[in-house]
Amino acid sequence: MLQFDRVSLDVDTETLRGDVRGFLAENQAHFPKPNSDFVTGHDAEFSRKLGEKGWIGMNWPKQYGGGERTFFERYVVTEELLAAGAPVSAHWIADRQSGPLLLRFGTEAQRQTYLPQIVRGEAFFSIGMSEPDTGSDLASVRTTAIKEGDEYRINGTKIWTTDAHRNHYIICLVRTEAASENRHAGLSQIIVDLQNDGAQVRPIANMAGGEDFNEVVFEDVMVPADRIVGEPGNGWAQVTSELAYERSGPERFLSAFRVFVELVRVCGEHPAPHEAAAIGRIASHIMTMRRMSISVAGMLENSKDVVVEAALVKELGNNFEKVLPEIARLAAPIGASRGAFRETFEETLLLSPSFTLRGGTREILRGVIARGLGLR
Amino acid sequence: MSETQSTLQLILDSGEKIFSDHCDKKLLDQAEAGVFAENLWQQIVANGFNQLGASGSGTTAEEMYAFIMQCGRFAVPLPIAETLLVNSWLEPGEGLYSVGVVSNGQIIDVPWGRKADKVVGIQSGSTVVFVVDQPALVEQRVNLAGEPRDTVVLPDDARTVDVGLDPFAQLALTRSNLMAGALQTLLDLGITFAMERTQFGRTISKFQAIQHALAVVASEVAAARRAADAGVDGLHGERFLPEVAASKARIGEAVTVAAEQIHQIHGAMGFTHEHRLHHFSRRAWAWRDEFGNEFHWQKMLGNHLAALGADNLWSFIATRG
Repeated sequence: MLQFDRVSLDVDTETLRGDVRGFLAENQAHFPKPNSDFVTGHDAEFSRKLGEKGWIGMNWPKQYGGGERTFFERYVVTEELLAAGAPVSAHWIADRQSGPLLLRFGTEAQRQTYLPQIVRGEAFFSIGMSEPDTGSDLASVRTTAIKEGDEYRINGTKIWTTDAHRNHYIICLVRTEAASENRHAGLSQIIVDLQNDGAQVRPIANMAGGEDFNEVVFEDVMVPADRIVGEPGNGWAQVTSELAYERSGPERFLSAFRVFVELVRVCGEHPAPHEAAAIGRIASHIMTMRRMSISVAGMLENSKDVVVEAALVKELGNNFEKVLPEIARLAAPIGASRGAFRETFEETLLLSPSFTLRGGTREILRGVIARGLGLR
Repeated sequence: MSETQSTLQLILDSGEKIFSDHCDKKLLDQAEAGVFAENLWQQIVANGFNQLGASGSGTTAEEMYAFIMQCGRFAVPLPIAETLLVNSWLEPGEGLYSVGVVSNGQIIDVPWGRKADKVVGIQSGSTVVFVVDQPALVEQRVNLAGEPRDTVVLPDDARTVDVGLDPFAQLALTRSNLMAGALQTLLDLGITFAMERTQFGRTISKFQAIQHALAVVASEVAAARRAADAGVDGLHGERFLPEVAASKARIGEAVTVAAEQIHQIHGAMGFTHEHRLHHFSRRAWAWRDEFGNEFHWQKMLGNHLAALGADNLWSFIATRG
């Protein structure tokens, strides 16, 4: 049965937590409008400052510039950044996903090239998975990378690529061999330099008025053969492991956190009964999900397989990120129709459709959980 | 650490054996018809499970609550949680003890008050309780699940004891754990039924709609379990009340979702008296409302947070693992 052990963050992490809060207080100028959504707020200078503090790649080996700290310490830093609503989008994917991917599967040369840059907050990564005809059915990708001598020729289109217009690299899931009966075979991951390899990036405006995501078009883009991550043909195994990593963190239930903060502020010290109940209801969910998420961090620390547990945390967390603004909306007093509550609420509501899409849709996650229950 | 875990495992393994052997559908039906499960009670006393967590028992409050969760998983039709708490508040004894809420010179909603050797009356917001030996029965009543919830007399000369930790919240925490246990059984029943029931030429577990419903329930059950454990972890800190509040409120919501989905999966069969599903769904529904429903505890937690203020909200949430 699914088990979320009682894991507590070490007492040792409290000093670190204090340091992060101090840093955030000094750097308030970077986020005049706090937003807990990890995709909102791309600030290269802020990310470089985090790099200077040693808060990117915290649990990676020292030989690549990492801090060799625990998953719990990384957890403390990431949750503090999100709860404060700091701009973390620039380095987020590289820290959470691309770096760990290179550590697990990359070549030694790739680790030495990219990881130290990521740790310094100087190399930002995008994810090249979805395509115009490929969403949840990831194995159906059609972008090809064909080997020609010591290079690969890439053709195809990636889409919904967050921050491709601002980031340095993208790791693309591509076909290095034609599709066969085993649709998971012949896939590879390849690193493309977004600023120098000739990929075309076209912005896509989202419904919230932001221009964070893009279409990335590859027309005979040539990259050196050593950009293949790990082994050619191992792409499917790599990409599924990468997705498991990204599913259980605090960004999966804190995206709407600033709405909660503003709700408490607007309700004041002596809330009406229904306002107090709304506040308590939201808190009871966040407290529980945070503990489940920390349980998964503990499993990661002990190198356990977390695929199903991570999917479950994301399922609960993403659904609640959408419910939170609704609870807050109905509870907020009349006077909240203008001011910080309204502003934060509206911004978050407009972003909320993406919460149950990115990183695996609700439907995909429920399938993963059902498999864990032995139903498929 | 490992010694503690093995004690806990020993308790849960013995409990599992006793309940698997004795706490079946027939016993639950009889209990709901008002027949006290004497044999099962004797088994529990013989194993010392009526004194878990009490002083001198050599066991902890954590083990007591884990056992209560297991009682929820089997829908054990006895006032175990109440006997355990009374034994932890007073000099432990061998009898059957129960607890109810003081109201207008009476103690109401007393589980198996008709059989109790001793009843403790509690009041929300006070740590002082009234102890009544050989209580006089006023009225026999039952809750939604057919569990006895009787009214007894609170005599003027009842002695008082200060139990230290808010007794109403301790009772609420027993309901959190009972619900978390019953939720596990609801999920297990749903999975088993879905894998056995065939429609359209295949087991209904093969349908995506059913898989997704069970995935939702599994998520709620996992959350409930974690919330129940967190409430127990709050026993030794200054945050006992808000932690109990979070657990009771969160688990109550989980019951609402899970019971509805699991009944839907069972179809008409789960709506029959003959099926055992209702022993668990009705109890879970009833326990949502005992010792403060979701709204009661949400308000308590919300007022606590509002008093701390918006800028201390995160600090509160992040203070404990």
